Amino acid sequence: MFMIFVLDEISFRNLLHQWLNSYKIFVPEIFDGQKVPNIAILNKEKLERFSLSVFENIRVREPLKAIFSLPKEKVASFGNGEDLEEREKVLLVGAKVCDLRPLAVLKKMYLKEDFVFEEFKERLENTLIISADCPYPQDTCFCNLVGLKPYCEKDIDGVLPDLNLSFVDNKILVEVFTERGEELLKDKIGVRKEEADKEILERRREIRDNAYFTLKKINEKELKEDIKKKVLEGEKDFWDKNLESCVECFGCLYVCPTCFCFLLSDYKVEEHYERIKVWDTCYHPMYARVAGGLNPRAEFYKRGRNRFHCKFSNFYSDYNFYACSGCGRCFSVCMGKIDIRKILLSL
Amino acid sequence: MSKLFKPIKAKILDIIDETPTIRTFVLKPEEEFNFLAGQFAALTCFGIGEGFFTPSSSPYDKEKIEFTIMRVGRVTNGLFNLKRGDYVGLRGPFGKPYPLEKFEGREVFIVGGGVGMAPLRSLFFALLHDLSKYKKVYIRYGARTPRDLVYKNSLFEWQKIENVDIELTVDVGDETWKGKVGVVTILLDEIPCDVNTACAVVCGPPLMMKFTLQKLLEKNFKEENIYLSMEKNMSCAVGMCGHCRMGRYFVCKDGPVLTWQEIKDIEDPFI
Repeated sequence: MFMIFVLDEISFRNLLHQWLNSYKIFVPEIFDGQKVPNIAILNKEKLERFSLSVFENIRVREPLKAIFSLPKEKVASFGNGEDLEEREKVLLVGAKVCDLRPLAVLKKMYLKEDFVFEEFKERLENTLIISADCPYPQDTCFCNLVGLKPYCEKDIDGVLPDLNLSFVDNKILVEVFTERGEELLKDKIGVRKEEADKEILERRREIRDNAYFTLKKINEKELKEDIKKKVLEGEKDFWDKNLESCVECFGCLYVCPTCFCFLLSDYKVEEHYERIKVWDTCYHPMYARVAGGLNPRAEFYKRGRNRFHCKFSNFYSDYNFYACSGCGRCFSVCMGKIDIRKILLSL
Repeated sequence: MSKLFKPIKAKILDIIDETPTIRTFVLKPEEEFNFLAGQFAALTCFGIGEGFFTPSSSPYDKEKIEFTIMRVGRVTNGLFNLKRGDYVGLRGPFGKPYPLEKFEGREVFIVGGGVGMAPLRSLFFALLHDLSKYKKVYIRYGARTPRDLVYKNSLFEWQKIENVDIELTVDVGDETWKGKVGVVTILLDEIPCDVNTACAVVCGPPLMMKFTLQKLLEKNFKEENIYLSMEKNMSCAVGMCGHCRMGRYFVCKDGPVLTWQEIKDIEDPFI
């Protein structure tokens, strides 16, 4: 059982204020008239007019992988001295469960026994994560279809946030999952915290159950249990039909928080050379082409289904969870209105 | 920055013209670089990019490392513009080596096509290191023309080694060629080894791989005893970037050599 404290809004604001002295803080920020927040960097000025209700929104538009594996970054240089990068301490506040599984996916991909993507590891170590319950799922949400719930009770596939926030009747429940999380609450001025009593925990249970119920109403039909086999069985016609409206903008894969692919490219910069890592997408026609011209996925349906094979079969076979968190970012940005759920459910 | 994507430097000691389009680069790494036969490395042509190649030299040679490379794309073009004394980058070794321990006590049936002989030469050197461990080693090698055969002189030397049986063929002969003419599969009409136990190791261009595999299966080689070198687009070489995905495998991490048993369910594995 983890410690759960109850804070009032002023106390939580005071916490944020003091955390700003030690951390670069990422929070969701909602712009006028928008339903979905964007990721933003908190500062003292912003905090003055910052509404805590933003934490009750669904996940931010941007995939949080961008904090841990930058869309474009230098990973090696030759011919000049080593760049020493200062790693900032980062506090990520308001991550949703559908942001946590993607970190689990990236951990599996980038932290291997024999090879470690150091930049990712350092950023992960330097980032404290405060997750937040997701009480109001929207029609793009489907975390329940991939084995998740819209709140965090324990680690998500090996990723445990340091703290978790639940908003209950103008109070903030702060659940402490880690020692780092405990440290975050220690010796803070102007923070009144009480241990959560049974009553407020029951209220939290109710809100959480409601959120899950809403989600189940949005996604009534479950994925077939053997979806990891089914997804491999889809024939050319199936993929052609279901991906017909794709304009190959690759938007779905760039915003996908679990897509881990990248490409290394070398450049000459003045008198030295640099190796740059950029996010890549398996929908790109050149993605799998080899020198000499052969391309195992020259036809689009093969690239299209590769995404499904990767997320729902291959990754699952290796790690026992889907490389999909049901965040719905992919079809939120899709110009062809391709809903990944419909494809999965029709398999 | 992490060392994961940063190569060590290696000096080009020599460049040997094998054929009009294939060269062997003899490198001296500035730091210790050890590999096992079948593992591959990333060669950086500075400012251009990385290409992925299996060394063609003996894994026991600690003085130098050799790569036999065909000029086909951007990186190999860059490498072909380098000269003796220049530097390249070297990252690795990556992937799984040939399972030599499984070959022990058995016949090893090596089939190569064109520049595909490069990793097979490294394997052959590794087998030669203690030939007594293996029942017999066969090499069946084909190239387009006599001019396209790599390691020509060595091949004729190796033929003299006891317990090594080599046969060559070319698709199109010329006035100098006295040997067999035809694609490499004509060398597989007669299989001199016990197909129940022999291990076949194949490397070559995709079509050659496909038809060689068919022939080996026809001849009743066991699926689990047919080792195939897979060529896929790669970028990181450490199982992270996703490019070399082939079915449930990442060729860089799970390969580059996989058995037919492992990949037989994959659609068109040789493309």
